[in-house]
Amino acid sequence: MTRNAIQHCCSLVASLAILAVTIGPVRADGLDGFVVQDPHYGEVLFHFYQQDQFTALTHLVTARSQNRVQRHQDDAELLQGGLLLSWGQHDEAGKIFERLLDATDDTSVRNRTWFYLAKVRYQRGHLEAAERAFESITAPLPPELEAERYNLQARLYMDNGRYAEAVALLNNWHGDETWTAYANYNTGVALVRMGQLEMGATLLDRVGTMRASTEEMRSLRDQANVALGFSYLQAQLDGDARSVLLRVRLNGPFSNKALLGAGWADSAGKNYQAALGPWLELSDRDLLDSAVQESLLAVPYAFAQLGAEPQAAEHYTRALDIFGTELARLDNALADADTGRLLNSLLETEPGSMGGWYWQLDSLPDDERTRYLYFAIADHRFHEGLKSYRDLAALDTHLTQWRDKLGAYRDMLATRELAYAERLPVLQDKVAQFDLPAMLAQQELNTRRTEQARATRDIVALAPNVEQQQWRRLLAMENAPAWDTEAASGLQEKQRVLKGVLLWNMDREFRVRLWRQDKANEALAEDLKLAAEQFAAIELATDSLPGTVLSFETRIDALEAFIGELQARLGVSMEQYALFLNGIATDELVAQRERLLTYRAQARFALASVYDRMAAQNR
Amino acid sequence: MKLKAKLGRFAGVLLLALMTQSALAGSADPTQELAALDQQTQALKKSVLELNRDLFVLEEELLYPSNTQVAVFVSLDVGEYFALDSVELSVDGKNVSNYLYTERELEALHRGGVHQLFIGNLKVGEHELVAVFTGQGPHARDYRRGASLKIDKNIGSKYVELRISDSAQAMQPEFVVREWE
Repeated sequence: MTRNAIQHCCSLVASLAILAVTIGPVRADGLDGFVVQDPHYGEVLFHFYQQDQFTALTHLVTARSQNRVQRHQDDAELLQGGLLLSWGQHDEAGKIFERLLDATDDTSVRNRTWFYLAKVRYQRGHLEAAERAFESITAPLPPELEAERYNLQARLYMDNGRYAEAVALLNNWHGDETWTAYANYNTGVALVRMGQLEMGATLLDRVGTMRASTEEMRSLRDQANVALGFSYLQAQLDGDARSVLLRVRLNGPFSNKALLGAGWADSAGKNYQAALGPWLELSDRDLLDSAVQESLLAVPYAFAQLGAEPQAAEHYTRALDIFGTELARLDNALADADTGRLLNSLLETEPGSMGGWYWQLDSLPDDERTRYLYFAIADHRFHEGLKSYRDLAALDTHLTQWRDKLGAYRDMLATRELAYAERLPVLQDKVAQFDLPAMLAQQELNTRRTEQARATRDIVALAPNVEQQQWRRLLAMENAPAWDTEAASGLQEKQRVLKGVLLWNMDREFRVRLWRQDKANEALAEDLKLAAEQFAAIELATDSLPGTVLSFETRIDALEAFIGELQARLGVSMEQYALFLNGIATDELVAQRERLLTYRAQARFALASVYDRMAAQNR
Repeated sequence: MKLKAKLGRFAGVLLLALMTQSALAGSADPTQELAALDQQTQALKKSVLELNRDLFVLEEELLYPSNTQVAVFVSLDVGEYFALDSVELSVDGKNVSNYLYTERELEALHRGGVHQLFIGNLKVGEHELVAVFTGQGPHARDYRRGASLKIDKNIGSKYVELRISDSAQAMQPEFVVREWE
């Protein structure tokens, strides 16, 4: 498989996986009138919709533990299950889905849950249970989930060898253009497997001649043509095979196989001259592809069949040189695999990134040795292992970041403690200087006096000090010894007038002064209440802060220890994955080496035959 | 070389290979070893997730105790008359957040996501929040609008929503600041 082919398959799987999950909380779409009722659920969706799955999951788990998504219980649980499933947490996801089915009557939630449960079971290889789950879905799912459901169910049938049921299922389903193309391809392949070439060819031909506007669809079209072309070759329909294979793009991921097949189609019709066209084109391509390796033998074979022994000998010799060089490189790669060096550069790509929920390896380090890992990457187990390794490496980095944060929080607590020790005596001094009980007593007295003035309409009591002093002076005059004398008669008149004016003023202002006094009393009461609360808070903080700090410190200690333990476990697991991946890579390299050795032996034998024929002709 | 035999074998192998790719995600066929490693990985991920939860809770209790915690969220409802660029948030006259949204974030908001613009601490009592929204209004004109809210911070967390919605009658955007019940 070529580099492009690997990329294509990877991007395809990734896009499907993403499609599968984005549908989860489809109701949480503003356009559907869904209203987010708990802000923290909306915040989770904000990350989820940006494909930041890890943040969405961790925030959701935290929010649920704090009872912050109570108004979205079922949706939140379903979302958590879907996120866990996508993160490879099949067991946990399965538990959630089963619990949800027991707990909810909402048909929409139940159907989506059955779908996810079917998916979990299918991925775990529990095919019968998966089928039962699929059959429990009672109504159509949201469109994208529905498409995945049909395709998964069809795959389940095909895995069981029940091709007819797969075909019937897919024939009855009409999704959007993309999904329909995949469905036609899968159905066509299933029919060919069943020996129904004619029916299968109709569907594959439909895909192979469709209009494709995206690279993904163009690749699928090529793939369908290659599958159909080789089906025709197998059925010895060489002419049909050739015309179908010639539809495949020359620069697409399936072009190597198409060129090889086209050559075989010509060759089968003994048109070796025509066969040389695609094979010569192929023989100059990247030798990693087995089709290219095969072409190195096919070209001289065609020359030999045309009676051009010198050209045949030349090309066999070239093939031997290339196989020899390639074998030497493979030996070096194998030596690197033994020491673990081969994988190191691969494992270090984009380290620590947590966004790789649907991560696929898009490029390999471009050097002579790691290029051979393309074959290993095509192995599902290798790719899954590599993905898990990356997940674990990202978790390790994530935990290291938390460890650093905890260190900062520990410093923060120490600073708080220090500030507490410094500020407490100052605060206690200030509190001691503030006689709150006396102030409360004074405020009570003020209120009582006001009430008394109101009750007795004591206008003097609420007058300002100046007026009260004036009033007292005027009254004091009446007690003077000379007050009743003749000489004081003018003064008495003046005093009477002044008393009248003062009384008039105090009476006139009484209501306003009473209102102001009430307000002042209320404000004072409020201030004193606040002061009392603050005093209580200070007292509480004084008593509890050491305990709070200690509690945080204890929790930080425990969490740090847990982080250390988990990082140790992560390290062990990562080593195990590295060994596992290295094993697969080594097996693949050995297989490649053996194939090349076989080709080299065939080339040597064929070359010897050609030389014999040339020698016989010269005799 | 027996061409037909070779051709048949090769075509068969190739067809099988193409079919096993079978367009939709590679079928699960893990080895025993991978299955064992997978179980181990699942257990580890579960532990990390639980630990992560405890760490988030600790962080929040430490940095934003519920007595003083205030969080401000931004949400969009339709948004036909307004394309949001940024939000500026002030609390009691002090700028606490300037946030410029990416295309991806706006898409998430349109789909129903809610962005936590600010989380911080405020003392008990009355506070004023002022949010200024910048973007493009009707007819692709630059648009800048403010909205404010006085909140009474009590003991307990306070959540505030800055909501942008469409007023179909006025054919204008509406900016609402409200306490999230």
